[in-house]
Amino acid sequence: MKMKNRLYSFLIVITVLVLASCEKNETPSDPLAMFSISSSDLEVNESMEINFTGQADQVVIYTGDISHNYDLITESNTGFVVNKNYFTYAFATPGKYKVVCVASTYNDLAEDLKRDTTSVMVTVIDDNTNIDNISCNQIVYDEVFANRLNDEWLMVLPRKVKFKNYQVPVSLSQRLKFYTESDSMKLFINDEEYNQTTKYDLSEVLDISVQSNEGTNRSYALYTAYYPEFSSFKINGVSGTIVRDDYVYGSFEVNVVLPAGTDLTNLTPEFTTTAVDEKVYVNSIEQTSGLSVIDFSSEVTYTIQYSLENKPEMVAETKVKINVAAE
Amino acid sequence: MKKISLFQLFILSVFALTFSGCQDFLEKEVLGHATDENFYNTKFKLQAALDATYNVLQTDQFNSCDWRFGEACGDDVWGGDESLTSQQGQLSHFLFNTSNDWILSRYEINYEGVNKANQVIANAHRVQLSNDDYSEYKEVRQILGQAKFLRALFYFNLVKTYGGVPIRPEKESIDSLIVPRSTAEEVYAYIEKDLREAAIMLPARFTESNAGKASAASAVALLMKTLLYQTTPGEPSDEWDEIVKLGGYFVDGDDMTYGSILNYDGGEDWETLRKRLWFKPEEVNGATDPYETTATLLPQLNNAYTLEYVDYMGASITYDEMFYQTGEFNGGSVFEIVFKESADGSGGDVNEGSGVYGSMWYSPPVVFTNASLIDDIFGNDPRRTLCLTHNDYAPDGGVCFCGPGKYVTLKWYTPVKERPQYGGDNGKNRRLIRFQEVVLTYAEALNETGNREAALIHLNRVKTEANTINGTSTLYIAGGYGYMRDQIWSERRKELCFEWDRFFDLVRQRRAAEVIKEYGANRANKRGYYFRKGVNELFPIPQKEIDISNGVITQNPGY
Repeated sequence: MKMKNRLYSFLIVITVLVLASCEKNETPSDPLAMFSISSSDLEVNESMEINFTGQADQVVIYTGDISHNYDLITESNTGFVVNKNYFTYAFATPGKYKVVCVASTYNDLAEDLKRDTTSVMVTVIDDNTNIDNISCNQIVYDEVFANRLNDEWLMVLPRKVKFKNYQVPVSLSQRLKFYTESDSMKLFINDEEYNQTTKYDLSEVLDISVQSNEGTNRSYALYTAYYPEFSSFKINGVSGTIVRDDYVYGSFEVNVVLPAGTDLTNLTPEFTTTAVDEKVYVNSIEQTSGLSVIDFSSEVTYTIQYSLENKPEMVAETKVKINVAAE
Repeated sequence: MKKISLFQLFILSVFALTFSGCQDFLEKEVLGHATDENFYNTKFKLQAALDATYNVLQTDQFNSCDWRFGEACGDDVWGGDESLTSQQGQLSHFLFNTSNDWILSRYEINYEGVNKANQVIANAHRVQLSNDDYSEYKEVRQILGQAKFLRALFYFNLVKTYGGVPIRPEKESIDSLIVPRSTAEEVYAYIEKDLREAAIMLPARFTESNAGKASAASAVALLMKTLLYQTTPGEPSDEWDEIVKLGGYFVDGDDMTYGSILNYDGGEDWETLRKRLWFKPEEVNGATDPYETTATLLPQLNNAYTLEYVDYMGASITYDEMFYQTGEFNGGSVFEIVFKESADGSGGDVNEGSGVYGSMWYSPPVVFTNASLIDDIFGNDPRRTLCLTHNDYAPDGGVCFCGPGKYVTLKWYTPVKERPQYGGDNGKNRRLIRFQEVVLTYAEALNETGNREAALIHLNRVKTEANTINGTSTLYIAGGYGYMRDQIWSERRKELCFEWDRFFDLVRQRRAAEVIKEYGANRANKRGYYFRKGVNELFPIPQKEIDISNGVITQNPGY
């Protein structure tokens, strides 16, 4: 019987152990909100790293920017749950933000919620003054981009654009579009704030000044030129027809039909360009109307160049292919 | 001697049972089972491994992550779930954190694909042939080529979503499970190499019972897209030139040699390369066997694919039929995810494609569009008739029940006659790459490289076909660079909308912030307005990956 009793007592001990494994709900320990932050001075889109170093069952970070503001918690602003005590975030807009860390503890039944909060102020700056691109976005239906030379830009526009069967003239009064890296910078054109629907007079140099959100200023200049063109092209008194390319503004063709039997190897074209200071070259040799002699028996391409006054590096260039045929 | 009590006996037997578990009979060598050492010894087993790779494409996880990112984050649709409290809502609002479920899900499923493709590629050399026929080599070569295409496809999904990602070793080892990230350039180079090699290993088009396998055309088309994603509009680059070269071959029928598509520079001995890619080695090549050199021409692709709306047999079909079962492997379908499988949809045996079709068309659709977006996308283009609203009739009389005010596209519609006996068997193929996209990519590269006249011709070839829907004659017209580019982008949107690629297309056009923010500003819930330029073009690496790598894998800037 002694043996049987021992067996019973053994079974009882096992039963007690099995059934007693659910311990009673203890009151949760006190939470401690503490964290370290990589830097409290950040740039826009720079990652802020937060390492939670306190004690908690659950950690939530309110970053303080739009829709994550702890002070607006009753107005459905939300925080981010921190996973494995590590959290990263980057601010999209410059400003001062209160980053709040909420540490909470609770028991297994999610009762007796205890909270502790701590916060740190973070300053986010945006000192970007970069312009990526400038365009005239309403050249008939086209968007024409400027070329960049350091902080100076050259916009080259066509005098006319071929659209369907029309030759639409392009004026020098145009809207401008800026591609920038930052949304918070301010743009001024000739000291007036830039407006995307204003038409700017591009016949003068535009002073563009950029002010970053931090107050840093940077100046740019926008120069504008037309693609140079032939306004007339004659050989032996016969006018050529000037054809504008459908696709490339700096490309033309001139067709001249001369009387049968004309010697094409030795001709002296007479031409005028749309502006006086446009220079004409064939194979890098400058041409003078009515003087320079050209062999038209093979294809000849003229280059017309226009460089801005006092700005020899800013050049607008047109290629003109001349087709001369004898009837 | 004291007697052993019953209690002691009990305790002893418990110990005996506990410690005697390990016995030799449990450690017998497994016979007749495949192991990773001997599995890949025949082409049939290699094919089985390739099938497993294709299977990743069929999973709901793969497909749903495609629309969750490519469509729901873009500006063509509203989402069925745009609540800021759900993972999907946070994702498409760009108000997610790095632990977002879908960001992890997309990462994992594409790496699962990479892993399966790697097993085919790493083990192909183990295949033993039953004879030395040329066709034996060709079969293994084609399996290997498809695996390379699929690996490239998975990496392409990863690199366009997360930027530079870890390139996994082909043979995984327990000692090096954590691989640091490569740069985006390195990943793109890796993808390109796979696709260039796949292009010479595969035929122009698989037909009959092999229809649907990745072909040389699939590889070239994906290669063009991979190059396109490395370009910046308005900036001349080698990639644009390369697209023009490939487009000339695919679309215009220019000759393309093996050496040319591989950009072969003699760095790897040609015979070594041939052996690696399962071309029949020179020493065993028979007199009648072809011997491929760098000058060998790739098969012509432009006569294997067409912009005309024709089915697999070449018979005319309508535009919407291109997306139905009728139009599977149609004249313009370059790569499809094949949803044919043995499941019949009964008793829980569900075709994996049914999830896609169930969520896109039936009420409530997970993404849908509306009247003003349709005006925005199509204008007067006849393709707008593909969008149906609640109680509208499909061309075959089926009724649309997507909910009032919503519009869904026939691209995800299953015609009445194609509906299976059981709803769960609903799985027509998903068109992943279409010839229309190839031609538009080519046109864009032509415009970027200054050949605008040819760009316009190709652009209008696509538009001319679309005009046949209702006989309109509006075409695109000549113009300068910016105008041509805008026309091409507009056509791209019209032709490829609702095929889950819009978001990524905007990012690679470098105008995602501009377009999506403007879209968001006009929405009551501001979905899209919080897109952060310079940050949200890439999604973050899933937090879990960073955590388990102990910081070896670094996060994208801005997260």
